[in-house]
Amino acid sequence: MSDRPAASLRLDSPLRLISSLRLDSPARAAGAVLLLAAVAGPLWLTDFWLQAGLFAMAAAVGAIGLTLLVGVAGQLSLGHAFFLGVGAYTYTLLAGEREDGMSGFGLPPVAALLAAAAVAGAAGAAFSPIAGRLRGIYLGLASLGLVFLGRHVWLNAEDVTGGYNGRTVEAFAVPGFSFSDEDPDYLAVLGTPFGELHRLWYLFLAVALLAAYCGRGIKAGRAGRAMAGVRDGETAAASVGIRVARVKATAFTVSSVYAGVAGALTALAFGRVAPDSFALTVSIDYLVMIVLGGAGSIAGASAGAVFVSVLPLMLVQYSAHLPFLSAPGSGGVDAATLSRFVYGVAIVAVLIFLRGGLAGALRHLGIRTARAGRPSRPARPAERSTPKESAP
Amino acid sequence: MRTGSGSAWEAVPAPGAPLLDVDGLDVGYNGAVRALRGVSLQVARRGVVAVLGGNGAGKTTLLRAISGTLGSAGGAVTGGTIRLDGRDVRGLPAAEIVRAGIAQVPEGRRVFRDLTVEENLRAGGLTAAPRTRSAALQGIYELFPDLAERRRERAGLLSGGQQQMLAIGRGLMSRPRLLLLDEPSLGLAPQLVARIGEIVTEINRHGTAVLLIEQNAVMGLRVADSAYVLEVGRVAASGPAEVLAGSDEIRGRYLGAGAGTASSADPGPDDGREPDTGPPGPAAAVRAEALKVDGVTVRFGGVTALADVSFEIEPGTVHALIGPNGAGKSTCINVLGGAYRVAAGTVRYGDRTLTGLRADQIAGLGVARTFQNISLSLDATVADNLLTGRHRLMRSGVLGGALGLPRARREDREHRARAERVAELLGLTALLGRSVHTLSYGDRKRVELGRALCAEPTLLLLDEPVAGMNPAESAEMAATIAEVRRELGISILLVEHDMPFVMGLAERVTVLDFGRRIADGTPAEVQRDPEVLRAYLGSEAA
Amino acid sequence: MSYLLTQLVNGVSLGLVLGLIAVGFVVVFKSTGVLNFAHGSVLLLGAYLVARLHPELGFWGALAAGVAGAALVAALINTLLVRRVAEHDPGVLAILTIGVDILLLTELTRQIGNDVLDIGAPWGASVVGAAGVSLPASRAIAAGTAVVLFAALGALAARTDWGLAMRAAAADPDTASLMGIRLSRTSAVGWGLAGALAAVAGVFLTSYPTPGVEPGVSVVAFAAIPAWVLGGFDSVPGAVAGGLVIGVAQALAIGYESELHFLGGGFGEVVPYAVMVLVLLLRPHGLFGQKEAIRV
Repeated sequence: MSDRPAASLRLDSPLRLISSLRLDSPARAAGAVLLLAAVAGPLWLTDFWLQAGLFAMAAAVGAIGLTLLVGVAGQLSLGHAFFLGVGAYTYTLLAGEREDGMSGFGLPPVAALLAAAAVAGAAGAAFSPIAGRLRGIYLGLASLGLVFLGRHVWLNAEDVTGGYNGRTVEAFAVPGFSFSDEDPDYLAVLGTPFGELHRLWYLFLAVALLAAYCGRGIKAGRAGRAMAGVRDGETAAASVGIRVARVKATAFTVSSVYAGVAGALTALAFGRVAPDSFALTVSIDYLVMIVLGGAGSIAGASAGAVFVSVLPLMLVQYSAHLPFLSAPGSGGVDAATLSRFVYGVAIVAVLIFLRGGLAGALRHLGIRTARAGRPSRPARPAERSTPKESAP
Repeated sequence: MRTGSGSAWEAVPAPGAPLLDVDGLDVGYNGAVRALRGVSLQVARRGVVAVLGGNGAGKTTLLRAISGTLGSAGGAVTGGTIRLDGRDVRGLPAAEIVRAGIAQVPEGRRVFRDLTVEENLRAGGLTAAPRTRSAALQGIYELFPDLAERRRERAGLLSGGQQQMLAIGRGLMSRPRLLLLDEPSLGLAPQLVARIGEIVTEINRHGTAVLLIEQNAVMGLRVADSAYVLEVGRVAASGPAEVLAGSDEIRGRYLGAGAGTASSADPGPDDGREPDTGPPGPAAAVRAEALKVDGVTVRFGGVTALADVSFEIEPGTVHALIGPNGAGKSTCINVLGGAYRVAAGTVRYGDRTLTGLRADQIAGLGVARTFQNISLSLDATVADNLLTGRHRLMRSGVLGGALGLPRARREDREHRARAERVAELLGLTALLGRSVHTLSYGDRKRVELGRALCAEPTLLLLDEPVAGMNPAESAEMAATIAEVRRELGISILLVEHDMPFVMGLAERVTVLDFGRRIADGTPAEVQRDPEVLRAYLGSEAA
Repeated sequence: MSYLLTQLVNGVSLGLVLGLIAVGFVVVFKSTGVLNFAHGSVLLLGAYLVARLHPELGFWGALAAGVAGAALVAALINTLLVRRVAEHDPGVLAILTIGVDILLLTELTRQIGNDVLDIGAPWGASVVGAAGVSLPASRAIAAGTAVVLFAALGALAARTDWGLAMRAAAADPDTASLMGIRLSRTSAVGWGLAGALAAVAGVFLTSYPTPGVEPGVSVVAFAAIPAWVLGGFDSVPGAVAGGLVIGVAQALAIGYESELHFLGGGFGEVVPYAVMVLVLLLRPHGLFGQKEAIRV
């Protein structure tokens, strides 16, 4: 992605952005309400919720990228955390200053953010020769290798990454305005003082909306149709002139660009990057987000991202109000444990009871037709299920 | 196969009551398509019953319903009963139905290729009492001496005929009261087909009732006492085998006897218009080129699926490639489309060599195709599936789509309009906004044809375009194909085994049998060819 | 020389234990088509049960209970959850097992707390030696046990009705059910077998020289995934061979870490994954896998 996204965002009317969020009419109304709430949020949200919102929006960007790869193009990836890490460390390295024995290039943060997207995309493209040749869980497991190799690099390249303890992240800024507590030192909107969290909120919201807008455009356009074609049958896709290996590579690259941006945002939200933020569990969390939301659905991926990132924070924050919770280490169920249980149960329950995730469930409610779910293969298959001529 | 000695044989509830009684059976796939409608059928004790019908008529579905294996194909029995000896077996899991006394020999043999012959047979006998197994094994080896000889070999190394024997033997190992045979003659040489017929009779003599699914009607009617004809999920005719064999309609439709007189008299499309003299269509600027297939040989493992096949498609003509199941037709279309690699030979389209090109490169040269097993994006709309066909003609990339650039939007609009024109040609306009998974089978076939046409091919490869369609749908498809050729002036290769369908449409016919070309000529020439008659209709019909 | 030999012997022993885990992945994959991410926590469960029960039941009683418990839980995961999922998509099933893994691991972590539980194995911290190579007894016993188990598995699969049914069901489930083979049973047996093997591996992974049972042990199961992939996904001998390759490579990388310093500290831990990515680049279907036939 070049700097065009930002340009087109300004050109597009806000209405277009809103309309780009629509699912169908009731959902469109719900989307408008949500967007309004998101815009007004910083006026009344506490710092805790602002912080949670930042994590959720960063995760939404990454989840949209992953759902394009896994849901739309049908390529299983367990390597998303690696590309998130590439984005996060690229931003930190390029935007950071050279100090305390750390490398840094001191570039403008905007350039560093774009570079994070580009470098992560390049890493995805570099991996795509493997991605183009493998399919299904082979691809998933090969990409799992990336996460461990990446972690090894991050632990060892100490002058870039700060090793195990990580390094701090340069605040985001555009000329004349910093998304931190300084420059301007005091900013208030409708009487609410806008500090770092408030300012970042709007940056993250804009990026997340742009990510959703672009995601929908990709999915609905020629590239998205080619990806879906590859997912639903590589032979048939090739028969209409789709270059299967190239489409897979494109999907990997696009999803890595998203991951790069999401990684940089995550770094900004934490204010610090460390290898643990990009472990295998993070890859898995992202997969869970898109499966909970319904693979291939942009809105579903966003909803899944909010659920997965906010749930644990919320349970920990409000554990004092939940009488059945006990203190950590006392042997009972503490808040962190409870959030893991809820998380695990949610995964199992959604997969067993809600086909197609939340988005699928909503769709089914909306249509209310008599058909019994999505057929997994064409009709009258039994007559034709054996390839007759290839097994003489 | 000393099955007659089992005590179950004496415990007959009512003398004369059928062993298998299927009544009013309805089957649907994925809750949407009704594959069987009100099918009733009886198999007498010690009877042999044949079920005939074309591809997609519902024959295999019927067997799957009886043997309890619909579930893995996404199907379910939605009405009717299935009784074995008075006991309701509908809805029992497959493994329990085997224990109740029904064994199925699946289509395409499905032997366990990595297991030895003897292990395959033992697997078939897992439900039998251990002390009876070695006797059963001996019985199988007596019936099939070939298998005894090769008992330690891996089943995957057997020939097709031996694999069929193994599959039958494996089914008999459970000492069934009823044996279900699904297309046992599929892809076998005529003398082997005759041998299978003898084996069925032999098995039956030992007391096992047999329900036989056959596309080879001659073979089916010869060994059976009575027969049922299925057509699009319904019983279209039934009766004693010799009566059906004598029926003109059955002879015409399934024995091929009527084909020579009924439809070959009219070489043009069946709507009567003359394709050759018709005015060039609006898109006649499309320049089709000659396709030359020269000495193509394809091997899978040790099996030769196509041997030195040559033919040529003249620009702008409809050319049919026909032959019995297993003749190599699909292999051939997959070579032309770039899905399979040749071991020898070349395919040239105009002055380009197709062999060695990837499928997407071949598509780029103007060759589009449909598939025997429909391959569409089920969740996407008809419009999006058609647009996928225009992929090679469109240019916008990820960035254009992501940002909604004006150029990409304009391109999308233009190509959507072109896709809508194709939809109009195929009568799909009303369905453009529907998801494919809500469509009927026949409509899906049309959508797939539409996707291929959207690629603006100069050569269209159609792999069994009317398989599974009823006569009305099939006639409609024939009219559509004739119209496509007239409107677009492209070459069409039609792979079919519905002979009358092909005879009414094609200018030239190539006939394959056992991977070899056995005839090539006009429909009338081919129909008179004694070798074609023998291959197609069985030795008796020639 | 004896240092190299020591590393090699260590690697072989580790590789055989990884092989036990990898065979579990193979059996589950072949019998149900599932990439089982809960395998690690089942392994931990087995080891945990042994550690908790050995003071009361004695080590051998506890071992039996641990193996049985892990087998039972694994079989239940399949019967109660995996078979209930309507979409038979490998990705969806894999994520389901992730959910199960989270639940099981969270509960075990809660039970274990910050302790490191002693496995209570009778071989304790003793060391055996021969020809200048010394090896913890647990490693030697692990290798011997693994070899015996592999041989027993091979014999069961080849000689018994049960093995025949398992192989037939794995080769072609639809056809196997036409032989009267109950797929619900073969798949439960497959999962149970995987769980039992994992429990045995868990006992060795928590014996001396490793400190004992703690939640991190479940992660070791991930190192068996590269072994499984190298073996080509559906081959039991391949998984054992893959385990040996990974085990030896890892042992050498750790043993010669000082010489391999340019690769970074802690390289031994990522060796399995590095080997896996390399092999997949060269041979996309593993060292022993067959290329999947593409049918149209």
